[in-house]
Amino acid sequence: MSVKIKDIHFSYGKVKALDGVDVDLPKGAIGLLGPNGAGKSTLLRILLGFLVPNRGEGTVLGYDIRQQQTLIRRFVGYMPEDDCFIPGMDGVSFTSYMGELSGMPRQEAMKRAHEVLFYVGLEESRYRQTETYSSGMRQRLKLAQSIVHDPKLIFLDEPTSGLDPQGRKEILELIMDISSKKDIQVLISSHILPDIEQTCSYVVILDKGKLAAQGQISELKQVQYSLYELRVKGEEKAFLKRLEETKSKVDETEDKLLRVYLPPGFNPQEIFRIAADEQVQIRHFVKSQTSLEDLFAKVVGVD
Amino acid sequence: MTIKEKGYTHWDGELKDGRFPWWPITRFGIKLTFKRKFFKFLFALTLLPALVWLVGIYISERLEDFSFMVRGDQTDFLNVNPSYFNTYFTNDFLLFMMIMILVFCGAGLISDDLKHNALQLYFARPLKKQDYLFGKAAVIFFFLFILTLVPGLIFILMKLIFAGNFKFINSYPWLPLSIIVYSTLLTSFFALYTLLLSSVGKNRRYVAILIFGIYIFSDIFYGIFYGIFRSQYFSLLSIKVNLQQVGAVLFNQRTPQNVPWLYSLLIILGICVLSGLFLNKKVKGVEIIK
Repeated sequence: MSVKIKDIHFSYGKVKALDGVDVDLPKGAIGLLGPNGAGKSTLLRILLGFLVPNRGEGTVLGYDIRQQQTLIRRFVGYMPEDDCFIPGMDGVSFTSYMGELSGMPRQEAMKRAHEVLFYVGLEESRYRQTETYSSGMRQRLKLAQSIVHDPKLIFLDEPTSGLDPQGRKEILELIMDISSKKDIQVLISSHILPDIEQTCSYVVILDKGKLAAQGQISELKQVQYSLYELRVKGEEKAFLKRLEETKSKVDETEDKLLRVYLPPGFNPQEIFRIAADEQVQIRHFVKSQTSLEDLFAKVVGVD
Repeated sequence: MTIKEKGYTHWDGELKDGRFPWWPITRFGIKLTFKRKFFKFLFALTLLPALVWLVGIYISERLEDFSFMVRGDQTDFLNVNPSYFNTYFTNDFLLFMMIMILVFCGAGLISDDLKHNALQLYFARPLKKQDYLFGKAAVIFFFLFILTLVPGLIFILMKLIFAGNFKFINSYPWLPLSIIVYSTLLTSFFALYTLLLSSVGKNRRYVAILIFGIYIFSDIFYGIFYGIFRSQYFSLLSIKVNLQQVGAVLFNQRTPQNVPWLYSLLIILGICVLSGLFLNKKVKGVEIIK
């Protein structure tokens, strides 16, 4: 396990940011999800060694998060969400500079900078000043600087933000290539759930500083809930009220499609019984293809 | 086959814990400064006093060859002694040109990183805050030492070479130490002063105005208050005068103002300490992830 933390607590003054979080990440690409204020950034800060938890322990790549923060940062890569660069530098100097700061010898860093810029598709623009790069190119540059020193673990913070569909597709392909074909673990923090679903097989969901869910996405979808899509005819108000009394969550889409999240152990046939009681006709009843968005909404309790 | 077609390739080298992790920051800082428009010209201009003083040392040893240039017996100014060094190190032109150098090389050192969110790139690497700040300060040290420490030691060396004996150093054995101490004090003060102001704002032009403005206006305020109250104690308001006071003491000269030099030293050290504390608070790795 490259990242293993146990019972992590952290507070900013009186505000609890993390409250007893246990995370044990397998190899491959992992998605880190959670609404704003869930504690994702605090968790990343702790994993990168910027914050020492108030309580709890853990290791990243085998290095203690309390004692060996510098070593952790030597062997991990970090791609920030913000647009960040150093003005006055061209792409290859910038990437090589970042390699040197990670501890690479100067000449090796320069050689490697060329390689990773080719890899991320910036070969034509590597001698251009970074301030002239488009947002898509800057995103690639950030990815290049995060892998220039060949880290064993990469933290990617919103890697596709601000990208057009084609750029997004290409970045995701690069991430999948890195995580699946090479021995590099990738932890992606993103609000774009389809990106996580596309690139990751494992997900960690935080909510209000606590671990809301953790596991293989496919397993979590099955365990957490079952989702049905319904179209009904008749007085649906009472029907919906009855459904909610069973602790089911009902969302209605613009085209009058009802999405019903059933609680664990709830028999779907009950829906028909309630419909019959309330004299409502069910015209459409399909077990929905559940998405990560559905899982997220269910776990975190937001739409 | 291009790299892209090959896919991601691993690097088979070893990441090392360098003895000077701040050195790449300094090297790139110096390189980027030299790339700035007009900087090379400005830097050459700042070396002018050193050249003039060097020529003065040469002439002082060859007075008979240059007697046609001297009126009467007015050769005192060519006496190479601690006063000669003090005049070089504390002359208004040199201090002013140092400020100009700081405007070019120092204004953007931290402010550019703040503006372009680059701090997170630095601190996501095995760098400590001290490494980052020292790497930035070393850029200023590099340029200011070329204007202070290096010429000072070259003056002594040239004096010895031109004289062909060690009489000068035997007379003033403490002079090299004075040069080292004053250069280090002056450079450290300007480095902290510049980094402090550079960390205040995200706009390098605004920071440049602050670096220049505070230096100039501290002197102007001294002039105004002195004009009104006729008290030399107002010289403590002036950065320039405080540096000149300490310089005079280190070169064993009479202080230009009739104010205890210790006050000036305390003000300089106080600014250094406050700058250090502010920088320590302002530059935080923990803020890298928003």
